Amino acid sequence: MAEPDASLDATRRPFTGRRVRFGDLALQTVAGAAALAASVLVCLIAYTIVRDSRAAWSDSGLGFVTRVSWDPVKHVYGAGSFLFGTALTSLLALALATPLAIGIALFLTELAPRWVRAPVTALVETLAAIPSVVIGLWGILVLGPVLRDRVEPALHSGLGFIPLFGRPASTGSSIFTAVVVLTIMILPIVASISRELFLGVPRDLKEGALALGTTRWEMVRGVVFPYARGGIAAAMILGLGRAIGEAIAVTQVIGSTVGIHWNLFSTGDTLAGKIAASYQGAEDKAQVASLVYLALILLVFSLVMSVAAQWIVRRVARRQGLAVGPGGVA
Amino acid sequence: MSTHSLTKAALRAEGLPRRRAVNRLMELLAWLAAGIAVAILGVVVWSVARRGAGALNLDLITKVPVPFNFGNTPSGLANAFAGSLVIVGLATLMALPIGILVAVYINEFARPAIRTAVGLALDVLNGVPAIVIGIFVFGLFVVGHGQSGYAGAFALACLMLPLVARSTIEVLALVPNALREASLALGVPRWRTTLSIVLPQTLGGIVTGTVLAVARVAGETAPILFTSSVGVGTLVHWDPHHALQTVPVAIFELSESADPADHAQAWAAALVLLLFILVVNLVARTLAARSRSRIGAAR
Amino acid sequence: MLRIFALAAVAAVLTAACGVAAAAPAAAAGTTLTGAGSTFVAPLVAQWAPAVGQAFGYELQYSPIGSGGGVTAVTNRTVDFGATDAPLSSDQFAACKGCVQIPWALSATSVIYNLQGVKNLLHMNGATLAKIFSGAITKWNDAAIKKLNPGVALPGTSIATVHRSDNSGTTFNFTDFLASASPKWHSKVGTGVAVNWPNGTGARGSSGVAATVAQTPGAIGYVDVAYALRSHITYFAMQNRSGKYATPGLKGILAAASSDQKPDATNALSIVNPPKKFPLAYPISTYTYVVVPTQSAKAPELRKFLFWAVTKGQQAGPKLLFQPIPKPVLVVAEKAIAKLHT
Repeated sequence: MAEPDASLDATRRPFTGRRVRFGDLALQTVAGAAALAASVLVCLIAYTIVRDSRAAWSDSGLGFVTRVSWDPVKHVYGAGSFLFGTALTSLLALALATPLAIGIALFLTELAPRWVRAPVTALVETLAAIPSVVIGLWGILVLGPVLRDRVEPALHSGLGFIPLFGRPASTGSSIFTAVVVLTIMILPIVASISRELFLGVPRDLKEGALALGTTRWEMVRGVVFPYARGGIAAAMILGLGRAIGEAIAVTQVIGSTVGIHWNLFSTGDTLAGKIAASYQGAEDKAQVASLVYLALILLVFSLVMSVAAQWIVRRVARRQGLAVGPGGVA
Repeated sequence: MSTHSLTKAALRAEGLPRRRAVNRLMELLAWLAAGIAVAILGVVVWSVARRGAGALNLDLITKVPVPFNFGNTPSGLANAFAGSLVIVGLATLMALPIGILVAVYINEFARPAIRTAVGLALDVLNGVPAIVIGIFVFGLFVVGHGQSGYAGAFALACLMLPLVARSTIEVLALVPNALREASLALGVPRWRTTLSIVLPQTLGGIVTGTVLAVARVAGETAPILFTSSVGVGTLVHWDPHHALQTVPVAIFELSESADPADHAQAWAAALVLLLFILVVNLVARTLAARSRSRIGAAR
Repeated sequence: MLRIFALAAVAAVLTAACGVAAAAPAAAAGTTLTGAGSTFVAPLVAQWAPAVGQAFGYELQYSPIGSGGGVTAVTNRTVDFGATDAPLSSDQFAACKGCVQIPWALSATSVIYNLQGVKNLLHMNGATLAKIFSGAITKWNDAAIKKLNPGVALPGTSIATVHRSDNSGTTFNFTDFLASASPKWHSKVGTGVAVNWPNGTGARGSSGVAATVAQTPGAIGYVDVAYALRSHITYFAMQNRSGKYATPGLKGILAAASSDQKPDATNALSIVNPPKKFPLAYPISTYTYVVVPTQSAKAPELRKFLFWAVTKGQQAGPKLLFQPIPKPVLVVAEKAIAKLHT
């Protein structure tokens, strides 16, 4: 972000004494009120979520976070199953998406012929714009059956000795489908940030390495990656945050069940997915409070990650003098 | 591989054939990755286009849904398109002025400490998952009062605010200080400088940012599920006091139906939504590139 | 350039809006009655909506979000009426502050399955079903299923159970039946609008369950019989307490209804797994209830609508396999409706 000059600070000092124009004061007050409103909004969100989950955390405290059961009949609720689901799906999606994204970014900055770069970049950014409900629709009706009929049995027969690839699901809904869907969703985020980072590596550093006789790959490994390391980490965190918060596409394809299963082909649920599936129909106060407690956990995670990632991205971008486009780098 | 060993190997041209082979492999992998990305996008867009185009007809925006369509009456999603128009429009009306004002405050008036604080608030707001915003607005407005288009619009406005504010901040920062100082030196009051001199320079960027934000929230389902999806009925409503059906929620509900006719309708609606978002994104980014080069040239 | 784009965009939006407004039937200025809840009764309500619009000019807006959601919505007074297949508990009555539940339709939960190549209407009973849904029986050619269907060649396909992921009165009805047929299910899992399912895939709404079963070979699920009809999915003939197998048709539902004709103090009735002396009964039948506040601003409209629903409205039922409610229950319902006031 291009930082405003220090010289502007002189004009930015608030009105001290001298003839205060009414218009200036009015604008500053109104604009200040808006800024205050935005800040208050954030606090209000936190307050409302904490307040509405009170019945759950005052009752079970932190034990809720690790308890695995979700039994509306016996009124025993816990986030353990969904924390597991969220961790498994998001981390796997990140593991799949990151190498692909870096590969694409490298392709776009180093390898692609000039005429290919603009269209493929546009393509990747378009992928980011597809709404999650559309990807979920595609996941239910197209991806799910294909995975169920071809991919999962193949993986099971080939790699079935690994517990991750256990008995294939009979429906198209499974953790595996959700992982594929999430990978598709976070791929463009990591890819476009990585691309901007690679573009920002100083040319003389790269050309210097090539002049010394390194191959292109060695140049990338020795110059580009170390330079972009921090930014890629931030991009990964941003992508992870996106995956963790995704509710709609996940709930459409994951099968909504409780329990900890390492078998990727079984059904499961995530924090966000559980909230989306159950909140509308929650019948008693204890259940509603438990669902909001899930939202609280989700909120804490995504906030920490989002803030950390944005901070790293801005620091890195500032260091490299990158112009961060409208709407931020994400 | 440390810089030292890298340089050493390069200078001495050691093991060149192996290094060339590794290089070739990596290049192939990069091509492969790009190919996979293009393929994924192609498959998704192609699926939506093929299945949606078949069911796409004027009925979609002129007829209303007929649940449990035993008699195969022509049906569509007119109520969803109307509702989306109203809710997204209202959300823009709510978020745009506040977003611009916040950006003006941060960039023109705020002390560095306050700038960081409000900037942090915006970043935090941006990081809140859409579904949590939905629960927030539900707990704040819907309990006791019922769902409504206003609640849905407010939820979407919360999502739009950080996007609009950030993009406005970016373009405000690009306006050269010389412009402001010249105006102040001529005796133009601060408020007039900001409103008549600085802001008009940024109009292109503000429009781009807003339009991108609109494209983003037009497809949001989760916050609307909790604020404007119960009791929406099948007829077309324009009154936001009422819960209004929206296109993403309609797609979500149709996607879980057992009826292939419902699926066809979902694909058609998804196609329209996708086209809208793609066209909007394309135009916005073209405008952004154009205005950025214009401001850059003016420096 | 920017101006042209802006003008074009505004023009496009206005044209679209005009098109929608002109062509689509818009809401009349009359009263709207909003309701939410049971997906079980949704097909019948969908039939009622245009008729109510024509008869009284009311716009009936119903959202099938599941019985639990309906009760919550009417408790929070975010809708005018709620619909549930699971009778309210005393806690729920207390939370609802002056609500009354009124039986307004009668149908059954069918247990659907997807097994290509097997043409016969397969037999099933509660005990075996409980074992299937708790994971004790995993394949279609299991001995217990074979015993119920002698002479049918059953494949070795795995069974995939499908249940509701949202709070559902249909789940209540189904688990009520499983609990009454299997003491083990009763103690381990129990009855409720949502339970801790031992296995299987969850799907949202009866349509979700029907869709998942239709797309999954070897799947078994449970939905209101109207959904099974509409999606052309096969269902089991279920064994009742007298040992006979009944299908979820009007006869079976009527026979089950005759096992309990006296609504209790809260107007609830229980007709699941009726005793032996009803040999024709389909054992997973249920009443479904509308929940309304006794005192509300829309009481006159609600009275008109509900009165119509339990009398004339019942005629729309049979083709969706909703049995018109029997006379003794109708009398109680009408009395309760008359008590609604502003």
